[in-house]
Amino acid sequence: MKELSEVLEDWEAVIGLEIHTELTALDTKMFCNCKLTHDDEPNTHVCPVCLGLPGALPVPNRRAIESIVKAGIATNCEIQKHSMFYRKHYFYPDMAKNFQTTQGPVAFCMHGHLDLEVTGRGAAERPACAFGEAEAESLASASAGAVGLSADLSRRADSQPAGAGDACGATGADASAGATALAGLSAYDTAAGAGPVRHEDGSYTVPIRILRIHMEEDAAKMVHVGGEEGRIGGAAESLIDYNRCGTPLIELVTEPDLRTPEEARLFMEKLRRIFVTLGISDCSMEKGSMRCDGNVSLRRRGERTLGTKTELKNLNSFKALHDGLAYEICRQAEVLEEGGEIYQETRHWEPSRKRTVVMRTKETADDYRFFPDPDLAPFDLTDEFIAHCAAEIPELPDAKRDRFERDFGIKRADAEQLAGDPALAAFFEAAAAGLSGKAAQTVANLIVNELMGYLNAAGADVTLETCGIAPAQVASLAGLLAEDAISSNQGHEVFLLMAQMGDDPAKIVDERGMRQVSDTAALQPIVDAVLARCTDQAQQYRDGNQKVIGFLVGQCMRESRGQGNPKLFNELLRASLS
Amino acid sequence: MARSFDELTAQEIAAGIAAGTFSAAEVTAAALDAIAARETEVQAFLQVTPELAQEAAARIDAARAAGEALPPLAGVPLAVKDNMNLVGTRTTCASRMLETYESPYTATCVARMLAAGCIPVGKANMDEFAFGSSTDSSAFHPTNNPWDTARVPGGSSGGSAAAVAAGMVPLSLGSDTGGSIRQPAALCGVVGMKPTYGAVSRYGVVAFGSSLDQVGPFGRTVADVALAMDALVSGGRDPYDSTAQDVVPGFAAAAASAEDLAGTRIGLVPAFMEAEGLTAEVRTGVERAASALEAAGAELVEVDLPHVDAAIAAYYVIGPAEAFSNLARFDGIRYGYQEPGCTNLADQSARSRAHGFGAEAKRRQMLGAYLLSSGVYDQYYYAAQKARTLITEDYSAAFARVDAILMPATPHAAFRHGEISDPTQMYLSDMYTISLNIAGNGGISVPVGLGADSGLPMAAQLVAPAFADERLITYAAVIERALGRAAGGSVLGVAPAFAGKGGELR
Amino acid sequence: MALTNDDVLGIADYARIALEGDELAQMTAYMNDAVAMLEPVLAYNLPDVEPTFHPIGDLSNVMRVDAVAPERDLARETALANAASAKGDSFRVPSILGEGEA
Repeated sequence: MKELSEVLEDWEAVIGLEIHTELTALDTKMFCNCKLTHDDEPNTHVCPVCLGLPGALPVPNRRAIESIVKAGIATNCEIQKHSMFYRKHYFYPDMAKNFQTTQGPVAFCMHGHLDLEVTGRGAAERPACAFGEAEAESLASASAGAVGLSADLSRRADSQPAGAGDACGATGADASAGATALAGLSAYDTAAGAGPVRHEDGSYTVPIRILRIHMEEDAAKMVHVGGEEGRIGGAAESLIDYNRCGTPLIELVTEPDLRTPEEARLFMEKLRRIFVTLGISDCSMEKGSMRCDGNVSLRRRGERTLGTKTELKNLNSFKALHDGLAYEICRQAEVLEEGGEIYQETRHWEPSRKRTVVMRTKETADDYRFFPDPDLAPFDLTDEFIAHCAAEIPELPDAKRDRFERDFGIKRADAEQLAGDPALAAFFEAAAAGLSGKAAQTVANLIVNELMGYLNAAGADVTLETCGIAPAQVASLAGLLAEDAISSNQGHEVFLLMAQMGDDPAKIVDERGMRQVSDTAALQPIVDAVLARCTDQAQQYRDGNQKVIGFLVGQCMRESRGQGNPKLFNELLRASLS
Repeated sequence: MARSFDELTAQEIAAGIAAGTFSAAEVTAAALDAIAARETEVQAFLQVTPELAQEAAARIDAARAAGEALPPLAGVPLAVKDNMNLVGTRTTCASRMLETYESPYTATCVARMLAAGCIPVGKANMDEFAFGSSTDSSAFHPTNNPWDTARVPGGSSGGSAAAVAAGMVPLSLGSDTGGSIRQPAALCGVVGMKPTYGAVSRYGVVAFGSSLDQVGPFGRTVADVALAMDALVSGGRDPYDSTAQDVVPGFAAAAASAEDLAGTRIGLVPAFMEAEGLTAEVRTGVERAASALEAAGAELVEVDLPHVDAAIAAYYVIGPAEAFSNLARFDGIRYGYQEPGCTNLADQSARSRAHGFGAEAKRRQMLGAYLLSSGVYDQYYYAAQKARTLITEDYSAAFARVDAILMPATPHAAFRHGEISDPTQMYLSDMYTISLNIAGNGGISVPVGLGADSGLPMAAQLVAPAFADERLITYAAVIERALGRAAGGSVLGVAPAFAGKGGELR
Repeated sequence: MALTNDDVLGIADYARIALEGDELAQMTAYMNDAVAMLEPVLAYNLPDVEPTFHPIGDLSNVMRVDAVAPERDLARETALANAASAKGDSFRVPSILGEGEA
């Protein structure tokens, strides 16, 4: 198979994502009072409602509704006041009622977008030809065929023969909300219309539209016994644990605005940072509380008709999301270039074998027999309810990144990284309080390089909260570095000692005599001694070999037992040799 | 001195126990004795629960002995329809599917009746999963009409109605999706009320049509039904039912206030009174009720419900669609009949459902699955829900002119077992009751005496605006008083063949 | 257009109801009778009438507080007691894809 970069020169990949996020921050399930848990004994958090017992009835969890409204506001969606829950029927025992309670044509959140900033190597995945006017057309034509993303609902909506208000296939309430959504559609459609513009450094910004975010409930866990690797195929029987059944789940569906696996990965990361900041979910892809399916199709560059798409499952890490999509794009290109045909099917990403395999072929569209759930009253959210949700939204990562960049003067990339994690951002703000420019950047460097490196190395048991390192210690260490009291190499050493012992960095430096000597009078004799000894290197420098200065500085550092200021040594050496 | 407990109303039983005239244990023993003596011929019950009854009676007697205030229905024997969960009983819905299903929790409506002091004596027979108007579709046995055991008691709550009519209990609970309380009440000569949708919690009642189902009581007097309604709504809206609403318990007071109806306007729908299929004796019965109301000072006014013709078709779209969805959960995995020996899941589900469900339950689900399918849904389901809007508006317009509407409850008296075999013909039994389930407002079926031709019980139905259910009680009490035996009228008590049979209370 | 036996078989397959022997023909006859009976409702597909899905007036926004209510939980034994097949702590179903079939 060809490399991704080669494939994307000839082919345009059209990618849409469906992202499910469990609202793990809640205490109870979506429609009953059972506790939300992840690892408890099977079938220990079940009740008549989530077991689908005869006669049981659902009552929606207010905080779940608040959470999805917050998610919608944070992703620039229009919050729909009027919406309903629907029943989506399919016979499978992971849904205790044999239907899933989900939303209909009108979701709580419709028509949002997130702007992706794609930089560095990731930006290089999008070939130069995929910018400007051609791209604007590509977006417009892709979204025209985008209804496939929630095919059943759209089909149901489209086939409703009555007036425009009913085009949403919904109640009067739903229909008028649909009309509102339609009114906003043109702005939504043009949101991506300009196409991305590539900056001089190769980076670019691209808006990714969000079709909808709807509220639903998660399914039970099934264990397939007797098959290979717990897979369903070949299993003799399956065991069902309903603890997870009924967990509040929000599903976000993007428009097919993504063009590279890297953009898909960045979108997912960005969304994860937003949801974590909102405090609605732990967003663990590893534990399955955030899951992503990808839809991907190819078309020749310049072509406007969409190709047949495949749906990718088991993209359960950021790497799997990127690599699975990249593989699938290359696979489709190979099939098409050999004159083959892409079938509309669901494929499973196998990370160990780095390939996708067919799970099932969709010959006909599923008929889920959607209809409004008669057990659940419609929603008619008040302005107060929405305002209350909005008021509870903390500063979001993008705003925080911009503020860090503006107020502290730190690098945008560092600001982005710090702002993405609420705890880390708070730590930075505490440590860099009152600082700006170089001093703030030093704090940022320590957090991004030293602190995050330390936490990563320490494993899952040690977190920012439990590691015992205080913002004041990092501030103090940054101060020592800023006043050249220690070298950056020493900074690393001091950080580790500080993390281990919990002492103040100044104390560590003083007790160990690590303070850097920056007194010219004390350093000049060392310089003189080194030059006297290393006459060859001195001559090389005078002959024009600038690089040899590093060797000479190293000799001076050794002579001073690491305590001389290397910058000062550098200056003194150059002065002595000129 | 010895008399049967069936001569007592629920009100009199509770008063007698509170006064110490007899104990709850004695009443319970009498009820169980009456059931033993009459049940062979009536077959109203799917399960009789002497242990639960005796335990509940002992608690009432202990409370009285301890000097505690007794709840309003303390010691009153109660039968509940077998689609209502009660811990300690099976909830079978009269289906093989749930033949061995032990209730894991108790329905709110049952819990509230027990909290009001009722004694649970058993689970009443019904049409399977409430699909029917005869109780003949019970998977276990039919129930016989106590007025003529060759005839059906109506349905689907036929067991609940027959148990009251045969004097085995003074009160019972039923559920009404298209007339399943009011029609059997009419056929068995008892009072049966379907309150406004949302007045009584549906939590724990096995769903048939979620937007149509409503729980309500049967009794031999309007006052008893009023006491049961107060018990059902006391405690406010049930937080476990998203469609439940607050109703102030003022039903007993409404029964007591049935005096002068001057200034009250009662509507009559000419099209209903002249409808094809309505028997002369039912029509005469309704006219008798109208005269009683007029005599009490009410003005009779003709009203029109122009879209109500669509009710049956709308109902047989909405009902089966919701039933298909609600019954999808019966796949034999978590509970219910499981076909043995199946080696794959789809096969197990399809055979469990094929053999667990009876013919009508399968028909309704098949129809529902078809009506919800792509392309069909848009035509039928939307049309039905739009018809629902128009029918609701018809009632609103009528209620702008009148306080309540009087109409037949059923087109004819109780029919013989097997007399109506065509399922779509059977659906027409509900022609007078169904529009209320579509619109949601309440109705009550009240006896008006025996039919001149059949000699069987006749009834009239009163219909009120949504959440004006206490009016139903008031006007029904006026009819009962005018036509009652105390006034020399013919309004009915226990069916004569069973009155006084067993159930002696010392 | 009348429903054929094949149509009805397709619905039965979806609804997980195995139709055996004469049942298919009887069901097809019933379905066609019932659909004919429902025909009058089609006249109500009126563009200017809103459907009423919930006969509950203006009731909306019914929600509950996000609080655990342990008294509603079922003990695992109770939850499993009505299941025809349970294994250990879980509900059991036979092979989903049918590979187990001989």
